[in-house]
Amino acid sequence: MRIAGYWFLLFVFVSGNAPAGTPQDVQLGRILSLENAWNQALQVKDEKALDQLLDRAFIDIECDGTLTNKAEYMANIKAPTVQLARIVNESMKVQFYGRSAVVIGVYLEIGTRNGNPYSHRQRFYDTWINRNGTWLCVSSQSTLILH
Amino acid sequence: MQQKLLPIAIVFLLVASSCAQGDTTSVDKLEVSALEHLWKRAEEKGDIRALGPMLDDDITYVDENGSLLTKAQFLSYVQQSGGHLQSLAMQTISMNVYNGETAVVVGSYLAKGEQTGKSYRREGRFIDTWVLKKGKWVCVVSQETPILR
Repeated sequence: MRIAGYWFLLFVFVSGNAPAGTPQDVQLGRILSLENAWNQALQVKDEKALDQLLDRAFIDIECDGTLTNKAEYMANIKAPTVQLARIVNESMKVQFYGRSAVVIGVYLEIGTRNGNPYSHRQRFYDTWINRNGTWLCVSSQSTLILH
Repeated sequence: MQQKLLPIAIVFLLVASSCAQGDTTSVDKLEVSALEHLWKRAEEKGDIRALGPMLDDDITYVDENGSLLTKAQFLSYVQQSGGHLQSLAMQTISMNVYNGETAVVVGSYLAKGEQTGKSYRREGRFIDTWVLKKGKWVCVVSQETPILR
């Protein structure tokens, strides 16, 4: 699973370096692939894959309002207190603005924290920037869906 | 009133100063920062005429309950909250500008007010994504997350 996930991510990055001017639906496919690769990397705690997905200036707001930078986010992923059993994107909408893309969606996260099971349904929004042909996520935010 | 206008005046002076120095990224940051402050001021007063032009027509707004709002729905919400919102203070703000066309603003706020006879105090964080369209910065996505701990 881990190896398969890494090769999938590698494919996405290699194809991400294609010449400029490719149709928007190709870019759309790349962004959606990267979002799915992110979930896969979280489940298997694949730091190397995550490191390649996130920009150095990456900022994350968790559903409890916690603000973390890239280093803190990576450290949280490594923490043994959280075990993700399943993370599924239920819906995703991608909007492009020049060399930026915004993804708005809903995901379901099921796992255990300090041994206690949890299940969260959250609205998320990620901003991706194209740097020299490679898409990198610069911000991510989640909010619990209460209604 | 004068005290409230002072931070905005300072931001505008900084914008003017940076323009003179020709630092594009700094100008972009100050311009977006000024818009963020004006947004909070307009929201505090329920002033949708001031707020409307800052928001892209296709803006996606995610409120603190995780609900999706269109521009019209958000403006309607702001107009209604103007009746009970007493203050909306921006506590922190930071931003990055990418490729000179996208600004990502991360901040926190404290809202205080009174609704149905009960006072409330809400703290949250937000990320706003602004894009440059026809030479004008407009917000295309904004999301709120309550601070729970």
